[in-house]
Amino acid sequence: MTTIKRRTFLSGGAALGAGLMAGLPLHAARAQAREITVTAFGGVWEEAVRTCFVAPFEARTGAKASVSLGGPPQWLAQVEAAPDNPPVDVLIMTPDLALTAAKAGLVDDFTVDKLPNLAKIPQELTDSVLAKGTLFDYGVGGISFNKDRVKNPPKSFAEFVDRVADGEFIASVPSISYAVTPIMLIWAMAQALGGSVNDVDPFFKAMDRMKDNLVFWSSPNDFFNHLSSGEAELGIYFDGRTWNHYDSGATWIDFLNPQEGGALNGVAVQKPKNANPLAWDYINEVLDADNQTRFAEIMNYGVTNTDVVYSERLKPRITPWQETRFPPYEEIAAVRNEWVDRWNREIGR
Amino acid sequence: MSVFSRDWINTALAAFVVLFFVFMLAPILVVIVVSFTSAGYVAFPIPGWSLKWFANIFAYRPFIDAMIVSIEVAVGATVLSCLVGVPACLYLARSRAAWANTVMTFLLSPLSMPMIVIGFASLFFLSRIGIGISFTALIVTHMVVCLPYVIRTVAGVYAGLPTSYEESAAILGANPARVFWHVTLPLIRPGIIAGSLFSFLTSFDNLPISYFFASASTNTLPVVMLSYLEHQFDPTIAALSTLQLLMAIIALLVVDRIYGIDKMTVAG
Repeated sequence: MTTIKRRTFLSGGAALGAGLMAGLPLHAARAQAREITVTAFGGVWEEAVRTCFVAPFEARTGAKASVSLGGPPQWLAQVEAAPDNPPVDVLIMTPDLALTAAKAGLVDDFTVDKLPNLAKIPQELTDSVLAKGTLFDYGVGGISFNKDRVKNPPKSFAEFVDRVADGEFIASVPSISYAVTPIMLIWAMAQALGGSVNDVDPFFKAMDRMKDNLVFWSSPNDFFNHLSSGEAELGIYFDGRTWNHYDSGATWIDFLNPQEGGALNGVAVQKPKNANPLAWDYINEVLDADNQTRFAEIMNYGVTNTDVVYSERLKPRITPWQETRFPPYEEIAAVRNEWVDRWNREIGR
Repeated sequence: MSVFSRDWINTALAAFVVLFFVFMLAPILVVIVVSFTSAGYVAFPIPGWSLKWFANIFAYRPFIDAMIVSIEVAVGATVLSCLVGVPACLYLARSRAAWANTVMTFLLSPLSMPMIVIGFASLFFLSRIGIGISFTALIVTHMVVCLPYVIRTVAGVYAGLPTSYEESAAILGANPARVFWHVTLPLIRPGIIAGSLFSFLTSFDNLPISYFFASASTNTLPVVMLSYLEHQFDPTIAALSTLQLLMAIIALLVVDRIYGIDKMTVAG
């Protein structure tokens, strides 16, 4: 197999161009037996992954883990395109895409004999992705607010709807273009107001009542801009992101988990079929209690190993996953398109 | 006298142009100002001034690695586009064959396709033939979307040139290679320079294609910026955008100094 690196490519210049045209068989460099490619989001996420998971993995195995930055749809497409020779060995996925990968048969089963630390992860979290992965980190979609402007925030989704509908606040809620909106807003609010996956009428009625006092965010930074500019006073947002803003100096922001329970939004870890077996060692590090404790400390998000003990700083910020609403990801995936269509027709923003 | 007098219309047009420029430039100005904020988050107006977000660009290694990859890919895709595109233009631009138009349209067709479709389809195709996620794949797919810019500008210049220049050189004894080197190439150079500039910028800013071919060693700057934005809220991206803007302005000034922007505008 011919291996080509980018500097070799450039030094080849025109000759290589001619080679390409002639159909020269070029192949991507495959990871060596002692090297795996793992995945991470950028910024502080990547730094936390390197510190908390990659470093212990490399120290324990003597192998190397390269970090590929990007996002779950990109990694899933890459594995789908080359299932026999996946370019990444460990996937970080949103639950809906984790289910897609599981149902497509692209990922391996998670068992305790391969992953001893899996025994410390609540079974519900592993079952939620059909035991072809597990959740190792989670956030909660609840009520974030500007505490300088909202002295008495709504304590529940129902109160949130009533007070926004009455014009007491302008609220910022996720738009339908944000991938998690069907879970963190449509399902969570429908459930809180007496509906279910099969009956989201309460949610759409609530949105109709609030429509004059809503602004929509399509990326998390939009939400923060709405609050910092005064365009909105509160909204539906994630706990960990709220605390990251707080730690960045926006000490006017606060978060509460609604009484009905905000939707849990997990991050799943999976291993593609035919990936390097060393990936199991890496994933075991991801599920390790000490490593997860450090990860939570950096990220301000909850983690899933039951042996994790949060620091005094972090404890009040983390909502135990049992106090959240656990979304039926598979059922939501089945009706998701229907909800999006109804949103577009009835809300249109 | 009509209310639509020439003075009134000129004033209205001038006001429109000013408003248009404000509309176009105000968001860029906000990004530039925010990149100098002392706050740890993006907010406007800013509470104080600081250069720390520019320092943060160089402290976060993936930004620098990705910028190097982006420059290499943009240069590689542009060079390959010229190597493929210029000879194609020389043949097709003056061809009277019925199929020449079809081939030209085919070469320009990536412009009319959503880039995300090209990226997704290329990922599966190149993986199937064994190239997969690699620097080669990144260059090849970028070349597909850069090629139309070179073709469009070079073909536009070449089609507008009288054939008599090349015929005269040939009559005076120059062989085809010398005709190309001493006559054709200097005449089509504005098209090549303009096409190369568009090609470089198209590749350097490309996200939809690079997204599918990103790996630990082939991440481009837009992919890393997107990934960073998803989970980071500090103004580093604003600082990086300001830096990119500065680089683009410097590049234009250098091109203007050594070649002349006005000469490029005759292309296409």
